[in-house]
Amino acid sequence: MSSHSESHYPHDMWVFPDAQSTTQDVARKTASTPGILKLGLAIAGVLAILGVVGFVLRMTSDGFSDYGAWGYYAAIFSYIFVITSSAPLVAVAFRLTKSHWRRPISRISELFALVGVVNVILYIPLIYLLPPINNPNFVPGMHGELQIRKTIWMEVPFGAPHLWDFLGIISLAVLSLIILWVSVVPDLAEARSSANGWRSKLYTLLAGHWYGTKKQWIHQKISLALLGALYFMMVVFVHFLIVSDFAMSLIPGWKDSILPPLYTVTGFQSALSIILIIAFTMRKWGGYEKYFGTSVFWSASKIQIGLTLLWTYHLFAFFITLWYGRMELEQNILRYLMFESYSWIFWLNVIFIFLIPFWILVWNPVRKTAWGPALAGIFILVGNLLFQIRIFVGAFNAGDIYHLGLFRVPPPVFPDVWDVFIVLGGIGLVAFIYLIGTRILPALSVWEVKEGAMYQKMGTLYRGEYLVLAKPE
Amino acid sequence: MVSNRIDHKWGMVVDIDKCTGCQACVIACQAENNIPLNTKDTFLQKRVNEWIRIERYWEGEYPNVKARYIPVLCQHCDNAPCEPVCPMYATYHNDQGLNVQVYNRCVGTRYCINNCPYQVRFFNYWHPGWPERLENQLNPDVTVRSRGITEKCTFCVQRLRRAELKVERQSGSRLNDEALEKGNYAPACVHACPTSALTFGDQHDDGAKIRSYFDDVNAHNIHHEHERETRGYRLMEEVNTRPNVIYLKKVDQYPLGKGDGHV
Amino acid sequence: MQEGRVLPAEQVNRDLLRSILETPKWFWPVVGILGLIVLIAAIIIGYMINRGLGITGLNRPIFWGFFITNFVFWIGISHAGVMLSAILRLAKAEWRRPATRAAEVLTIFSLMTAMIMPIIHTGRPWRILYWAFPYDFARGIWPNVRTPLIWDPSAILTYLTSSTLFVLIALIPDFAVLRDRTTGISHRIYGLLAMGWEGNARQWKLQIIAGVLLSALILPVFVSVHSIVSWDFGMAVAAKSWHSTIFAPYFVVGAVHSGVSAVAFVLILLRWMYGWQDYIRHEHIDGLGRLLVVVATGWFYFFVMEVIFGIYGREADEIAVRSLQFIQEPFQAWTIIFIVTTYFIPVALWLTRRARRNLWIMSLACISVNVGMWLERYLIIVPGLANRTAFTFSWNSYVPSAYEAIIVGATFAFVSMLLLLFSRVFPLIPLYDIKEGDILKNESVKIGRRVVPAVFRED
Repeated sequence: MSSHSESHYPHDMWVFPDAQSTTQDVARKTASTPGILKLGLAIAGVLAILGVVGFVLRMTSDGFSDYGAWGYYAAIFSYIFVITSSAPLVAVAFRLTKSHWRRPISRISELFALVGVVNVILYIPLIYLLPPINNPNFVPGMHGELQIRKTIWMEVPFGAPHLWDFLGIISLAVLSLIILWVSVVPDLAEARSSANGWRSKLYTLLAGHWYGTKKQWIHQKISLALLGALYFMMVVFVHFLIVSDFAMSLIPGWKDSILPPLYTVTGFQSALSIILIIAFTMRKWGGYEKYFGTSVFWSASKIQIGLTLLWTYHLFAFFITLWYGRMELEQNILRYLMFESYSWIFWLNVIFIFLIPFWILVWNPVRKTAWGPALAGIFILVGNLLFQIRIFVGAFNAGDIYHLGLFRVPPPVFPDVWDVFIVLGGIGLVAFIYLIGTRILPALSVWEVKEGAMYQKMGTLYRGEYLVLAKPE
Repeated sequence: MVSNRIDHKWGMVVDIDKCTGCQACVIACQAENNIPLNTKDTFLQKRVNEWIRIERYWEGEYPNVKARYIPVLCQHCDNAPCEPVCPMYATYHNDQGLNVQVYNRCVGTRYCINNCPYQVRFFNYWHPGWPERLENQLNPDVTVRSRGITEKCTFCVQRLRRAELKVERQSGSRLNDEALEKGNYAPACVHACPTSALTFGDQHDDGAKIRSYFDDVNAHNIHHEHERETRGYRLMEEVNTRPNVIYLKKVDQYPLGKGDGHV
Repeated sequence: MQEGRVLPAEQVNRDLLRSILETPKWFWPVVGILGLIVLIAAIIIGYMINRGLGITGLNRPIFWGFFITNFVFWIGISHAGVMLSAILRLAKAEWRRPATRAAEVLTIFSLMTAMIMPIIHTGRPWRILYWAFPYDFARGIWPNVRTPLIWDPSAILTYLTSSTLFVLIALIPDFAVLRDRTTGISHRIYGLLAMGWEGNARQWKLQIIAGVLLSALILPVFVSVHSIVSWDFGMAVAAKSWHSTIFAPYFVVGAVHSGVSAVAFVLILLRWMYGWQDYIRHEHIDGLGRLLVVVATGWFYFFVMEVIFGIYGREADEIAVRSLQFIQEPFQAWTIIFIVTTYFIPVALWLTRRARRNLWIMSLACISVNVGMWLERYLIIVPGLANRTAFTFSWNSYVPSAYEAIIVGATFAFVSMLLLLFSRVFPLIPLYDIKEGDILKNESVKIGRRVVPAVFRED
């Protein structure tokens, strides 16, 4: 029977890693740093230093009083924040839906929690940059001036928005670190005896309590589920806070209820993309092809194309509502952000986030490969950066925020050398910290992959060989 | 389309300072345009049909109470929000700047009514009926709208058409303020107003009375309203409807302490 | 997730076709009562077309009331079909199997019911039927494509057509089973509908491909339909609380919320009425409940966004509407009821496994959601119109008339009646889907001492 049966999957769709060798293999890969990784670290480090240089020079040349010069800083902060805070969601969300394809990539996504700490640090200058809610120049009776700029904080409760946004970012960073820790403990426990040097000490410190008893496993599962759900809701909430306070309320007259969902979708899309790019890299050059079948990419790419379409849908809803109403102040918002000042960056934005990835991902054979989603992901990441620049540089340079609306359309602000350094530095910083993180913690979630291997096998049905997937409750 | 029609752009100026709230314009409009009678039942059903209405607002506390009147009629907006939303093209902007309603094309979806920021469109919930003899006073130049149709102020377009016929086509001279006055061709409300609070005219006519007000309002945009030298303004400017009706602010001799007495 | 036993195919056929081949005793009386309600409503509609819309409670400025609320509500319910059959099929969720047919059919009937509403609420309905059609019947005047009211029929009819095709194609194997079990005129009709189905490999392959393709293609339609219906309100500039960019996804997620709840309720009813305990199991209702937690929370997020950004600008005219909705009676009471019934009560119940597996509690939760979602549409439309312009002189209130209430109630009777009549003629649980699920779950995986149920994955 088996001689007639044929698997009709592509040969690398499903993988069945052997439990024994997985632990040692992954531990070995974590401990060793091949040359190309060292090169990557070096480049990222150099970019990060460039970024610090740019930041310092910007600080000395403009100070913190004029926030208009810091538009690009806010854009790169937002870019880093939205991607690194959404990245753990890939692990969280698909654990909740019990999707098996998330197993190899869940640690990749959780490792972004380490970068989340950087969010907190990068946020601190923004606290100084955010203008107060009360208008210091308010003159009663002056036309077009508001006493309180438009903001989501109703009666300006204590510390809003600086304190609450900061608390939000800290809590996200802490929560994601806790999720990472809860998830990584079984792997560290397994590796603590075989690791040497500082790794052994670190692993014992982090995972010394773990013995793999049934109770501990159940505890871990419930914690991940609850923390994950909490994290999901917190991420969406903090995204709403950041984009409302740092973008929407700084463009006078911009009242847009779809911007927080649009921003969140952008984050999910880019987070999934960067995870797929890392997964592709690990699979192709990192020697992890035993653990990543192309089924991961095939399932994730459906989510990716769905998010791409969702992004376009939200953007269109924003456009059509404002455009149809023909109200002058709203039309000025459209002119500013889409069609006049930032028009070329807007069209590039649409092409990179929607047109190109859609036409890559719409083909089923491309979705079944590993390079397809990764290639689409690169375009999505560039497009997202353009999106953040458009929104945040636009917001920071929109003129007087205490007016009823944009009475005239401000000109676009182009980056100068320090802005370019800052943007590159941000990207370099993320890459640097992430790569260091992969040296400390295993980049593959060994316990999850082993669990997945337990649940799957190839079975014969009639004349074909198919994957049999166990579905425990 | 009539190719040799002279290019008019009709507009109206409403002087709130002169308006006494007497409602003569409301009655005149009702008589001229065959508007169904507003009985006590109509008011109880909250379906009053008044193409021009006097809105009355009370200000102040007894004994320093003031009543503010503002006549509100169809603004014939150049950027009318009611026009793009009609599925049947029953309302559109004609080449004389009027927002016209085509009764026999209207199916009564009422989206135009909901999208009018000035609330000047009306729906015929019932078939109109007049007590027996009152049918004799119906204006033969104006359709009697059946139920299910939306209607609104037309700037008495029937009078304007007759004016074009008699003055421009038959005698060849241009329809200006004097001709409108002489032949009673301006809208009924304009002629009925005892204080001449309503003024009607052609914005393209250099000698029209309304022209100076329109020029002034057009010269300044909404953001510099307080710099205007005359009293002119448009209603709800932030909605950007570009109405063809201009209101003149009331001048308060004894303001109630609320800004500049702007209604 | 595989709690039921695997039944032999003949028994599956017998159980699921029982509703067609034999008539339960209660069937005709129930259909008769529902038909009577529908008949009364039809008479009232005739009276309304004759006398005019004056018999309703609509006035100035509340020109849209119960009818449009009901229209949006039924469009919302119609989103269940695609969610359950298309999205869950693409996500390969096994627990969708008994629900797909009922959901798709509910979609079709609720779309048909929804379309009746905007037709009867116009002043001259006999005109709108052919003037909205994309042809210049009247001297070269086409319908106005700039208006959301023309986007509506385009989207709704597209959705209706594609859903009908979807159901008909999915029904072909079941038509064949019925063809083989009937005689006479039924045999001929089923034979015509089965289009020569033999059940060979090639036909099954085409059937699966058609199912997957239609599922994927219907997804954009599904998103766009309710977005376009929401833009009936979103495009309006005069009703300030309506002019919000979030209406499109807000309404779509709300539609999925109310639609999936409605389908869950229908499934529980069907299970009880036809004795389908082996097919509609607790695990299916459990799965629906879990899906609903996510959908409800997503809906709540969009709702909060809408309200926050409504009052964000602190514009007086918008605050006037919001204060009417949240602070003034009677809308404050309705708003509290709406929020509690749509989100807090159901989600609190759905978070516990015991409630999800208890069919009475699930029924009540799903009814509560739909009551709340009907109120949601009402609270968007009527307060939005009541206090809508800055000219407070025109502010007013709305009391619906008995005629409107009867017509709205009759739409529920109409949909129920259609569902019952459909179940008499076509199987409401897809036979081959159940049998496919049974085949695919024959395997199991031994992990340690546990034997875990497993499924074959074809893709």
